[in-house]
Amino acid sequence: MIVADQFHPSTFVDAFRFIGDNPHLLLVETGKHLELALTALAIALVLALPLGLWLGHKHRGLFLALSVSSVGRALPSLVLIAFATLTPLGIGFWNNTVALTVLAVPSILTNAYFAISSVDADVVEAARGMGLAERDILLHVELPLGLPLVMAGIRIAAIFVIATATIAAIAGGSGLGEIIVDQASYGLAGVVGASLCVSALTLLAAGLLSLMTRSSYRRPEPKA
Amino acid sequence: MIVAGGPVIPNFGSGSKCETTGGWWCTDWLRSHWGDTLQPALVQHVELSLLAIAIGFVLALGLALVGYRFRLLDGPIGAFSDFLYTIPSLALFQLLVPITGLTETTVEIALVSYTLLILYRNMVAGLQNVPPEALESARGMGLTPLQMFLRVELPLAVPTIVAGLRIATVSTISIATVAAFVIPKGLGRPIFIALQQDLFKTEIIAAGGLCIALALAADILLVFVQRALTPWSRA
Amino acid sequence: MNLISTIGREGLMVRKHTRRAAKAAYAVSLAVAIVIGLITAASAGAAPKAKPTVTIGTKNFTEQYVLGQLYKQALEAKGYKVVYKENIGSSELIDTAIKSGKINFYPEYDGVIVTDLAHKSFSKTAAATYAAAKSWEEGRGLTLLKATPFYDSDGFVVTTATAKKYGVKTIADMKKVKSFSYAGFPECKTRMTCLLGLKQIYGLKQVKFVPLASISVYTLLDEGKITAGDGFSTDPQLQGSKYTTLTDTKHIFGFQNVAPVVTKALAADATLVKTVNAVSAKLTIPAMIAMNKAVAIDKKSPADVAAAFLKANHLS
Repeated sequence: MIVADQFHPSTFVDAFRFIGDNPHLLLVETGKHLELALTALAIALVLALPLGLWLGHKHRGLFLALSVSSVGRALPSLVLIAFATLTPLGIGFWNNTVALTVLAVPSILTNAYFAISSVDADVVEAARGMGLAERDILLHVELPLGLPLVMAGIRIAAIFVIATATIAAIAGGSGLGEIIVDQASYGLAGVVGASLCVSALTLLAAGLLSLMTRSSYRRPEPKA
Repeated sequence: MIVAGGPVIPNFGSGSKCETTGGWWCTDWLRSHWGDTLQPALVQHVELSLLAIAIGFVLALGLALVGYRFRLLDGPIGAFSDFLYTIPSLALFQLLVPITGLTETTVEIALVSYTLLILYRNMVAGLQNVPPEALESARGMGLTPLQMFLRVELPLAVPTIVAGLRIATVSTISIATVAAFVIPKGLGRPIFIALQQDLFKTEIIAAGGLCIALALAADILLVFVQRALTPWSRA
Repeated sequence: MNLISTIGREGLMVRKHTRRAAKAAYAVSLAVAIVIGLITAASAGAAPKAKPTVTIGTKNFTEQYVLGQLYKQALEAKGYKVVYKENIGSSELIDTAIKSGKINFYPEYDGVIVTDLAHKSFSKTAAATYAAAKSWEEGRGLTLLKATPFYDSDGFVVTTATAKKYGVKTIADMKKVKSFSYAGFPECKTRMTCLLGLKQIYGLKQVKFVPLASISVYTLLDEGKITAGDGFSTDPQLQGSKYTTLTDTKHIFGFQNVAPVVTKALAADATLVKTVNAVSAKLTIPAMIAMNKAVAIDKKSPADVAAAFLKANHLS
C-alpha cells in the first residue's frame, strides 16, 4: 500500500539517513523480530530434530519425510500466517510463532532424516558389532557424520523464519516488518531503510550459520 | 426504501447467517463469489507465477551456460543469486517500488530474482554431474562440443534441472501471495481483504486453500514431466 | 539418446521448407500491417475528439472501494475509459499519486484536506470546510467536484461494555482513565483529526497509539487487544449496540463530506463533471451505511453493490 515517487537515487540516501537517525527504534524492532523468529526456530528444533534423527536412524518413515518436505514447501507463508489468525491464539505473538514454527519444521525434519539415514551402513554395522547401544550409535557415530546436512537444514529453516517474520506484521506481529508495512508513519525512507536492515539481518544469519555448517565438516578427532 | 428527493436504496440482499458472522465455510459465499473474487484471483496468480518462472528459467539457463563454461564466473554468479534469495520478499518489493512503481513489473522482477538462485544452482549442478564416462564415449564417437552439449550433457542434466524447476515453481507460487501488497492481483488479495473484514474465515480458508492446491498441483505436474523426459531413469 | 539424434537429421530437411514458408509469411504479414496502418490513420483523422481517460485511485478501506466503484461504473456507462487503481493507501500517499500524475481522480474527505494536507485549522461549518479545501487544491492545479450529502468522520469508539466499565460518555471523560490504548490507521498518529487532536486538544496525554496494519479496529476491540479505536461514522458495525462512539464535544474530528479531487484537465470536461456530481448527490448517510453494510457485513462485492445502487437510481 505505498506509492512510488519518480525514482530518486536520493530515496536510498534518505533511507540510510533514516537508519542513522533512528538507531534505537531499529534496534528495538530488530530485537522483537529476532524474538519472534528465534522462538519459532527453537520450538521447531525441539519438535523436529529429535524426530528426524531417530527416524533416520531407524530407517523408518521415508514416506513421511518426503511428504513433509513436499507439502512443507507448498505452504505459502502468507497463507499460514493468515490461517494462524483464525486460531484462538489471537493476533499478536503466539499466532505468528505457531505459523513460523510450522514453516521451519519441514527442512529441519527432512534434512535430519536424510543426514542420518544416508550414513554409510558399514560404519553403523561396525559400531553395532562393537557393542554400542543404539542411542550411542546415533549420537556418537551417525550424528557427527551427518552433521553438515543437519546444519544445512537448520540454516534453511532459520533464513526462512527470519524472512517470513517480516510478513507477520500484517497479523499483529512485531519486528522490522512493522516499519516496512507502515509508510504513512515512517515515510518511504523508513520503509526502504527497514527493508535494508532486514536484508542485512538475514544475510548475517545466513553467513553465521554457513560458518557453523562449514566448521561441522571437521571430523571429530579419533580417540586413540 | 425511498426517501422523497433522496436516493433509492435498493435491497442489496442480506448475507446468510454464515456470512454475517464470518463463518468457517460459508458455501453460499463461495458459490456467489467464486466468479468475481476467487477465480480471477486464481487466474492472476497463475499468470504472475508462470511469467516469473518462464523468464527465470530462460535467464537462469543463460547464466548457467556461462557459469558452466567459464568456471571462474560460477562463484560470483552463485554468490549474487544467493544474496538475492536472502532478501525477504516483502522487503524486496518495497525496495523496488521507488524504482519501478506499484506495477506488475515490480512484482515480476522480485519473483524472477527468487527463481534465479534455485534454477541457476540446479542447472549448473546438473551439468557438472554428467558422468565423465558419457562425455568420454561421446568424444570417442567424434561429436563436436556443440553436439556433445545438445545430445549428451543437456539431456543427462534434465533430471536435476527439473528437480530445481519443481522447487522454484512451488516457491514462486508461495511468494506471489505477497504480491497483493503491491498490486491488487493474485490470491493474496482476498486474504488481505478478509483480514480487514473482521477476519472473514471462509475467504481466508478458500483463498489459502486454493493457493496450497495450486502449489501441490504444480509440483505433481512437474513430477510427471520429469518422468516423461527421463525414460531411462525408469528402467 | 537415439530419438534426439534422428530429429537432428530430419531437422535439416524441415528447415529448408520452413525457410521458404517463413519468407512468404513475412511478406504477407508486412502487407497486412501496412493496410491496417493506413486504415487506422484514416479513421483516426475522421474520429471525434476522444474522451479523457480517467484514472481513479482509492484508499484502503471498504467505503473507498464502494465510492471508487460507484464513480468508475457511472463514468464507464457514459463511455469513458476508466483505469482503476484500488487500494493505494492513506490520504498523504494518494495525494502524492495525484500530484505526480499517476492518477487523476480520487474521492477525499474535505476535512482531511484542510487539517491534514493543508495543515490549516478547523473550519466552523461543513460549507466552510469544503470551501477551504477547494481553494487549497485549486492553488496546486487540482480542484474539487461537488461534495456528497454524507459525511464520514473519525470517531472515538469503544465497546459498550468498556464505556459502562469506565463510566464514560464523551471523549473528555477519558481524562479520568489512567492509561488506555487507541488504535487507528498509521496516518492517524500525525493528524489533528485523530491522535494529535486527542493529545493536544483534549489533553489525553496518557493515550498509547496502536497502528493498524491489516486487521480492523473492530476485530481488535472484540479481542480486547485495545481499549478504544478510530472508527468511521458510516461503519456498519456502529449501527448496533455492541460499540459506542463517545461524543466529540470539541469537534476535533471535523466535518468530513466527500468530494472527488480531480485534475483541472478532467474538470474541464462538462459531461464528466455532470456525471460525477449526479452520483455524489445521491450519496446520503443512509445510502452509504447501507452500501457499507452490504460489503462489510453481508460480504457482497463492492462492484455488485455499486452496480445495484447506480441501476436503482438511473445513473448507469
